[in-house]
Amino acid sequence: MKKGHRDATLLDHEKKWDNLHFLTSPSDGGREGWGACGSERSEVNRDQKIERPCSFLCGPSEVEETMGWRQSLQRTDMSKARTIYLNEPLKNTFCKNSISTAKYSVWSFLPLYLYLQFSKAANAFFLFITILQQIPDVSPTGKYTTLLPLLVILTISGIKEVVEDHALLETAEMQTEKQLSSLSGKIECEGPNCHFNSFTGTLHLNGSSPVPVGPEQVLLRGTQLKNTEWILGIVVYTGLETKFMQNSVKSLLKRSSVEKVTNLQILVLFLLLLVMSLVSCVGGMLWKDKHGVDIWYIVKKEHNTHSFGFDILMFIILYHNLIPISLLVTLEIVKYIQALFINWDEDMHYKANNVYAMARTSNLNEELGQVKYLFSDKTGTLTCNIMTLKKCTIAGITYGDQSSRSDAGGRKLSQSQACSVTEAYEFNDPTLLRNLKNNHPTKACIKEFLTLLCVCHTVVPKRDGNNINYQASSPDEAALVKGAKKLGFVFTTRTPYSVTIEAMGEEFTFEILNVLEFSSFCAYVQAVKCVLFCVALPLFLKQCRLRTLCVAYIDLTEAEYQQWLVKYKEASTVVQDRTQSLEDCYDTIERKFLLLGATAIEDRLQARVPETITSLLKANIRIWVLTGDKQETAINIAYSCKLLSGQMPRIQLNTDSLEATQEVINQSCQDLGTLLGKENDLALIIDGKTLKHALHSEVKKNFLSLALSCRAVLCCRLSPLQKAEIVDLVKKHVRAITLAIGDGANDVGMIQTAHIGVGISGNEGMLATNNSDYAIAQFSYLEKLLLVHGAWNYFRVTKCILYCFYKNVVLYIIELWFAFMNGFSGQIIFDRWCISLYNLVFTSLPPFTLGICEQCCSQESLLRHPQLYTISQTGDTFNIKVSRRFSAGLSSRLLSEGPLDSMCKCFGPLLHSLLVAHKNAGACLILEDMVLQGGHTTDYLFLGNFIYTYVVVTVCLKAGLETLSWNKFSHLGIWGSIAMWLVFFAVYSFLWPTIPISPEMTGQVNMVLVCPYFWLGFFIVPFVCLIQNVMWKSIRNTCKRTLLEEVREMESSRIQELDLPRDSEKSPRTETANLQKSPSPQPCEVVFRNNSVDLGNPQGSAFSQVEQTGISQEELVRAYDTTKSMPVGTVPSALSKAVLE
Amino acid sequence: MTWSATARGAHQPDNTAFTQQRLPAWQPLLSASIALPLFFCAGLAFIGLGLGLYYSSNGIKELEYDYTGDLGTSNCSVCAAAGQGRSPPPRCSCAWYFSLPELFQGPVYLYYELTNFYQNYRRYGVSRDDEQLSGLPSALRHPANECAPYQLSAAGLPIAPCGAIANSLFNDSFSLWHQRRAGGPYVEVPLDRTGIAWWTDYHVKFRNPPLVNGSLALAFQGTAPPPNWHRPVYDLSTDPNNTGFINQDFVVWMRTAALPTFRKLYARIRQGNYSTGLPRGAYRVNITYNYPVRAFGGHKLIIFSSISWMGGKNPFLGIAYLVVGSLCILMGFVMLVVYIRYQDQNDEDEDEE
Repeated sequence: MKKGHRDATLLDHEKKWDNLHFLTSPSDGGREGWGACGSERSEVNRDQKIERPCSFLCGPSEVEETMGWRQSLQRTDMSKARTIYLNEPLKNTFCKNSISTAKYSVWSFLPLYLYLQFSKAANAFFLFITILQQIPDVSPTGKYTTLLPLLVILTISGIKEVVEDHALLETAEMQTEKQLSSLSGKIECEGPNCHFNSFTGTLHLNGSSPVPVGPEQVLLRGTQLKNTEWILGIVVYTGLETKFMQNSVKSLLKRSSVEKVTNLQILVLFLLLLVMSLVSCVGGMLWKDKHGVDIWYIVKKEHNTHSFGFDILMFIILYHNLIPISLLVTLEIVKYIQALFINWDEDMHYKANNVYAMARTSNLNEELGQVKYLFSDKTGTLTCNIMTLKKCTIAGITYGDQSSRSDAGGRKLSQSQACSVTEAYEFNDPTLLRNLKNNHPTKACIKEFLTLLCVCHTVVPKRDGNNINYQASSPDEAALVKGAKKLGFVFTTRTPYSVTIEAMGEEFTFEILNVLEFSSFCAYVQAVKCVLFCVALPLFLKQCRLRTLCVAYIDLTEAEYQQWLVKYKEASTVVQDRTQSLEDCYDTIERKFLLLGATAIEDRLQARVPETITSLLKANIRIWVLTGDKQETAINIAYSCKLLSGQMPRIQLNTDSLEATQEVINQSCQDLGTLLGKENDLALIIDGKTLKHALHSEVKKNFLSLALSCRAVLCCRLSPLQKAEIVDLVKKHVRAITLAIGDGANDVGMIQTAHIGVGISGNEGMLATNNSDYAIAQFSYLEKLLLVHGAWNYFRVTKCILYCFYKNVVLYIIELWFAFMNGFSGQIIFDRWCISLYNLVFTSLPPFTLGICEQCCSQESLLRHPQLYTISQTGDTFNIKVSRRFSAGLSSRLLSEGPLDSMCKCFGPLLHSLLVAHKNAGACLILEDMVLQGGHTTDYLFLGNFIYTYVVVTVCLKAGLETLSWNKFSHLGIWGSIAMWLVFFAVYSFLWPTIPISPEMTGQVNMVLVCPYFWLGFFIVPFVCLIQNVMWKSIRNTCKRTLLEEVREMESSRIQELDLPRDSEKSPRTETANLQKSPSPQPCEVVFRNNSVDLGNPQGSAFSQVEQTGISQEELVRAYDTTKSMPVGTVPSALSKAVLE
Repeated sequence: MTWSATARGAHQPDNTAFTQQRLPAWQPLLSASIALPLFFCAGLAFIGLGLGLYYSSNGIKELEYDYTGDLGTSNCSVCAAAGQGRSPPPRCSCAWYFSLPELFQGPVYLYYELTNFYQNYRRYGVSRDDEQLSGLPSALRHPANECAPYQLSAAGLPIAPCGAIANSLFNDSFSLWHQRRAGGPYVEVPLDRTGIAWWTDYHVKFRNPPLVNGSLALAFQGTAPPPNWHRPVYDLSTDPNNTGFINQDFVVWMRTAALPTFRKLYARIRQGNYSTGLPRGAYRVNITYNYPVRAFGGHKLIIFSSISWMGGKNPFLGIAYLVVGSLCILMGFVMLVVYIRYQDQNDEDEDEE
């Protein structure tokens, strides 16, 4: 293989192939060019940072669940091994690399779309009605009155689908160069599958022995190169067969609980419809028995021809509009726009990398307002995952102890800068430099210390002009090297066997003899020139909550080293217990260290994390931190982000066996006694090992009730699976909405498991984001997402749904009343097209204004008073329990907020709509023999138009009454709807006979609008319908105010600074009766006999190291040679140009 | 719904008050202090209006007479007894005598009222062909299926006007006679039978088919009258502007009523000496008793009524206004109590603080 050729086979002839899986070279390739790529192994994984996007590598793709994909997944999972022939394109027949994640193609659109639409029960129902209407003589409302709205709704929905689907087509290009014509051979490897972490294959190059290829050599689709501009690779999987795509089938479609309740309500309405139809049928039979025979003017033959079945179909058609036909499409559009609001929100716009928040699904918008349990990852979610050297102590003198100052400065930094490394945050202590220059007694120590920081690491320097950038698998190491650089000890070059540094102007080269593996307990050691430098694990820098490391060294003689080396070689070839024997071997040399000092590294919290957490806690959201990190680190972070407070007792569970776990959990439960199950000011800390036992089926229940009794829960050292298990545990056993937030691949499980998954779109790649429901750039945006968007969306969606039910019941129940007057004959009182346009036109706007513009109070108030969140969080205005009682399609907040008991909650809207209908029926009686001014008499439709107008007005005014915040769209929606009906009414009355529809309507408007009765009723009927609503609201707002009303009053009276009672309410009568109980945790007075409870000060330290890397640090160090530039040749520069273009 | 990850940040619209959800908004907050004046004002207004309505409705005079005759009390019972079947003998007539002690303030309208008659029964209500009634020749020859079984006659001719509504056209007729002096002769009071239908019905919705050779009868040639009719549609009246489909009695009948008890305008009394109303004296209404209602337990009434500014008599609306108004006042007082009580407590709370 020649240098300078950048690409392997299979690529050149298929230029449009993209997003391939690469095989990087085996690390022992020993060829130029391969070496450069070899360094990628630890860097390039699926969670790669995007530093230099290469043109042939593509950003992660988005995923849509389709049936086809699932099938393909199952199919390919089973498929057998494949063989890829290099440079023989004709032999390789695999799928194309183009990926279309679009749901529809041009041809499949109509059938698939219709299938999907009609698999929704409501749409299928309306289709059924449409078909019924085609039966001659059965439909009281004509043949096409349901078809038209159904078509309109399907069209709107279809347009939305197309708009959404449009973006999903991915046609990324891969720029490839020449093919390596000299290369021939084949690769045998396993068939496409979804396992990221496994790959087995063998590379057979002609003329050389087979080389095994493992997962370390595979680059996944979506990978971005970081430290190099090009690599040589061989494509193994393409298109849908890539591991990424095999994995990217989104798990189950998440449905919100509100949606479930809504479906239940639709079902209940359907039952109501059946009941009404049955009642009408029976009524009709009774009526016929009484009158039927004698009524000579009614067509006789009818009495016997039509069966019960016929009648029931007729009544189903008559009443079918009880089920709001426009509800689904209204909700879809409303939620779509709500999601757009989230996407557009400038407060959630991370300006540092221009990332907006993104709602990847709009199904869960309202659920954001109901979150009760928040599961958060730590690293990268609460913290920036950017390490900076903060302090160090050398020979007993502490430097950089200006934390208070810089912290104060740092807090003030604006959000956008928060996570970028700024000078203010870096180690900056002039004393150290002064001591170094001024021959301070500790000068030698300082020098050794800094040299050591410079030398002992696995960092790779990368020159970029005069700048040196450091690439490190461990951010801590990079932080140390950067810190040293700032103090004048610059690490410049790495070769496989040496390290060159520039210390105070002079250049030193150190030979690397051995790299002793860093393990979590003992640190990482390099023997350099017979000086064993050691960065050992930490003692504690008390109270400072930083990640600390001890720095020590020992001088070895040549003889001592050689002696040890023999032992080391022995140990490293032991087959059994190699790790153990290596550790023993390290132990022999890691003695008699001379302690130089210690460093302290800070993994800074993201901006406003403590404030956000405080705010979320006030909103009665319980926060569980689930981290793979160490317990000490987790506790430290929990303290610094104010999740734990100094006085908070901690229950620490660290055990080894099931029995011990069980015992300690039971003990803790007993200690809590009656406080168990309530919220206490306690923290529970548990590690992964213990959790494994705690999740055992016998212990699970107690563990859960213990955990639920604590205000904060910290789970450390968790595997990704355990994270998901915990979320699942809570989700299954507690009736509450869970939200998981994380940024890394290890959070994907819990993100998918939780009701709502939130991904931090930031440093750690896209996997979490791509599996999330919402993506935000900063943890602190969660505050706005939940407290503002969530709460608003909850109010909006529930109001919108209940309003849709309400308005339909109000209008169509009148048909039932009318049935009593017309002998249950199925006669309609309104014009048939007015009936079908009611949902589609005349009352279509108020649900939108309620669903889009409604605000319970301003954003500022919601943020200032997180307690307001509990209103939507408890969600008792719209939950299954309520609807179960009267299984109310009509369970509602419309009448329910407030002092009315749950009876009213359930029956309220039904009663109300019945009342309205009844009043209208009353109007029937009032206007019984209505005679106009001209002495003319009227017909049924005249009365129908009266009632219809009153219903439209009532229903629109009702929307107005429910609107807490009137903006211009609310006015437009409410007054516009009324005006729209009147205009339509006027036009519609003149259509016949020019346009042959609705002859009955001819001239109605001339008669109706001039009739004084009409106007007299116009004022009194809606007034009477709504007056008791006004009264209840007024009385409740006066006597039983909630915090919401207080806040709203403050807002409307423009008082800026709200001095509201917060935790200790001034009087239980006045407010927050229902809010109060939750946010303030109870004082905890438990005496813990159990030694697991730790009241001490937090101490801890940690040193991060990329876990689960496939290669040792030694290999890593040996692999680099920064003295050599990228493989020599002319192609790279040309390439980089190409890339730039 | 799922969005693509790549769409992030792209196509962000401008930051407007709308996208940031900061549109200026009015946030009304209902409370007792606001509702109080509302309730009292509305209550007073409604009571005032209700009183007005009640009195103006009471000012409307109505005189009605049930001439069904099924109790044998009226002299129409002969006709009623004779007409037990569906086809009463033609020419059965009876009369209603009444006297007015004072002027019946005009204009006076004459109505007939039917009870227990389900014009709103669906099968009845749909049994018509509006295209035929609008004079469409094709519809005249081919009535709509809804008209069945009054679509085609036994002879197979299309029925015009087809359908059950037309077939059941009210066919009693009335004439009013006035005796100015006791023992004096009865003088016929002129009844204005025009203008009793809606203007749009008479001018737009109902049209005769095009005349054939200037004759309406020829236009209807080849059609049959509805089975219950004694004469064809073009013979409903001798007035060419009131015959055929535009016969006003027919047009009025074709506006089907909403409720099983309904009245329909028969005539207006506004001519000659009677333009100001019916002067005092004795009256006689001659009734041609044709229409059978006893079979289905219905009643027939004849009604003289005057009209106020708001239309016909309707005491209920005024009462409704009065009741609602009173309830408002009552609720206002409840609110007042609530308001005072909680206002005090709030003040105390503030004092305590």
